[in-house]
Amino acid sequence: MRVMIAEDDALLREGLVLLLRTAGIDVVAAADNADDFLAAVTADRPDIVVVDVRLPPTFTDDGLRAAAEARRRHPGLPVLVLSAFVENSYAAELLADGAGGVGYLLKERVGRVEQFLDALRRVAKGGTAMDPEVIAQLLVRHRADDPLATLTPREREVLALMAEGHGNGTIGELLFVSDGAVHKHIRSIFGKLNLPSDEAGHRRVLAVLAYLNAK
Amino acid sequence: MPHNHRVSPPPTRLLGRHWRAVRYLLVGGGTAALSLAAVLGLLLVVALCAVFGLGLPVLPEAARLGRWLTGVERRRVARATGTPIPEPHRVVTGPLRTQVRIIVTDPATRRDLAWMVLHGLSGLPFAVLAVGLPLGAVNQWLIPAYWWLVPGGVPSGFDYQVNSWSRAGIAVGYGIIYAALALLVLPAAFRGQVRLAGWLLRPADGVVLSDRVAELTASRAAALDAHGAELRRIERDLHDGTQARIAAVIMQLGIAEQLRGRDPDAAFDLIRTAQDTATSALAELRDVVRSIYPPVLSDRGLDGAVTALAARCPIPCALDIADIGRRPAAVEAAAYFIVAEALTNITKHSGATGAAIALHATEDTLRITVSDNGHGGADEDLGSGLVGIRRRVEALDGRTGLTSPAGGPTELRVELPCGS
Repeated sequence: MRVMIAEDDALLREGLVLLLRTAGIDVVAAADNADDFLAAVTADRPDIVVVDVRLPPTFTDDGLRAAAEARRRHPGLPVLVLSAFVENSYAAELLADGAGGVGYLLKERVGRVEQFLDALRRVAKGGTAMDPEVIAQLLVRHRADDPLATLTPREREVLALMAEGHGNGTIGELLFVSDGAVHKHIRSIFGKLNLPSDEAGHRRVLAVLAYLNAK
Repeated sequence: MPHNHRVSPPPTRLLGRHWRAVRYLLVGGGTAALSLAAVLGLLLVVALCAVFGLGLPVLPEAARLGRWLTGVERRRVARATGTPIPEPHRVVTGPLRTQVRIIVTDPATRRDLAWMVLHGLSGLPFAVLAVGLPLGAVNQWLIPAYWWLVPGGVPSGFDYQVNSWSRAGIAVGYGIIYAALALLVLPAAFRGQVRLAGWLLRPADGVVLSDRVAELTASRAAALDAHGAELRRIERDLHDGTQARIAAVIMQLGIAEQLRGRDPDAAFDLIRTAQDTATSALAELRDVVRSIYPPVLSDRGLDGAVTALAARCPIPCALDIADIGRRPAAVEAAAYFIVAEALTNITKHSGATGAAIALHATEDTLRITVSDNGHGGADEDLGSGLVGIRRRVEALDGRTGLTSPAGGPTELRVELPCGS
């Protein structure tokens, strides 16, 4: 897997490079600003890009905009965005084209190396990886008549993991339940939220995220 | 305003002016009676305040009644002289204690009271003269027409009977004196009353400016207070949360270093713990940062940040944001938190199915309007959200307006000055 990185903080950038190379992943470019990053992406399409939201020159959302631009230049280019804070509207923007291959994680998740690498691989394969904090904000129940209120605690856990981008197998492992039990919960959740149950895999995750974002 | 002398045309202009004075003094008798009653009522309220503190809740209502009365008089004077008198009162709002403070410290309150006492004492006698003098003149003049019809004569109104033509002549003389008095005294009394009201019911010299200075001083003090409280909160959050946790991380890593030779498993566990601790330190730090200045504001500006707020609101929000550009950070942050708190209030309390946010800016003002179609009845004294909004606005010397009749709709209007 060939990765390109855009991160302005030298410690974090070198740390990321080291961490990925240790895992046997090929880091083909590591830029410290949005322009260099875009130039590298344009010259040579990587399998996935890892981008910090805030980058020079303006230190606002240059990274996010560079990621969107990279995706315009290479449709379907998997993008994993790292940020010091989560902002739901950014997640919604990333997901907006409905193509998948999108991740949005807090920077410190990198420290859980195996989970981070799992998220990276998932996104590279066209899946999604949403930070648990994004999902927690999306799951906040605002109104008494919110259909989310009808979910059991276990179903909420399953829904949250599903929205983060995990597959049935991982969800079962994380919750210590069988595949069959996960299936049953998911069917029940889709029924209660009135979502089409014929979607599978990444498309199902996107449907769930679209539902939560539109809520 | 139609003048009465046009409705019933007088024989001469002099009489017209005279009639106007009489009318003014007559109505003045009414307002004088009300003034006296109001002063007595107020004395009672003050006595109750002094004895039991019972009168306090009534005081703002009493003041409002007094202001209504002086308002009536101010309009009367404006009609009589053609010059409007500016309203001198400070606006009475906020919780009861604040209202009482505003009323008691407002110099216009003292001037109102002075007017009520002076007008109450002078208005009634003048009203009596305004009726009595003209009627007395007419009465005296009529005596020659009928005294000889009444056996034994008629009472003259003084200590003799009119029972001869010479005495009837004297009555005519008295009538002339009455009329002369009426023509001399009544216009003078009219002018005096108008001058009294004009003098006491307008704002005292320098009050308008000194009020503004006092307002600014207070809002500046409040801003400093708010700023100080904010700094202390941030210090506490960083000290008790982030700093303590990072110290713990360093300690855990130190112990792990000591253990790594003897007990690698325990050392490994400690490294894990240190990682967890650092993660929660970071989460707390993020909350502190967000509470100081939401990062989305510096990324996207107020426009983008409010759009994100609206998108996150569970109730559909219509947005009307004109080109507001960048404003001072304090103003943008305040505006952001105001909209966020308003939307939280709407979501929690209004029962609304739709909301609307409007942001408009002139060169030196940012106007925020947040409205909803809920059931209204929003009360500042009940919810802390509105109090928080008002505090933020006052700290920037802005203005807050809230209309929320029972049954809705509710509209919150905020104006923030932002000299750029």
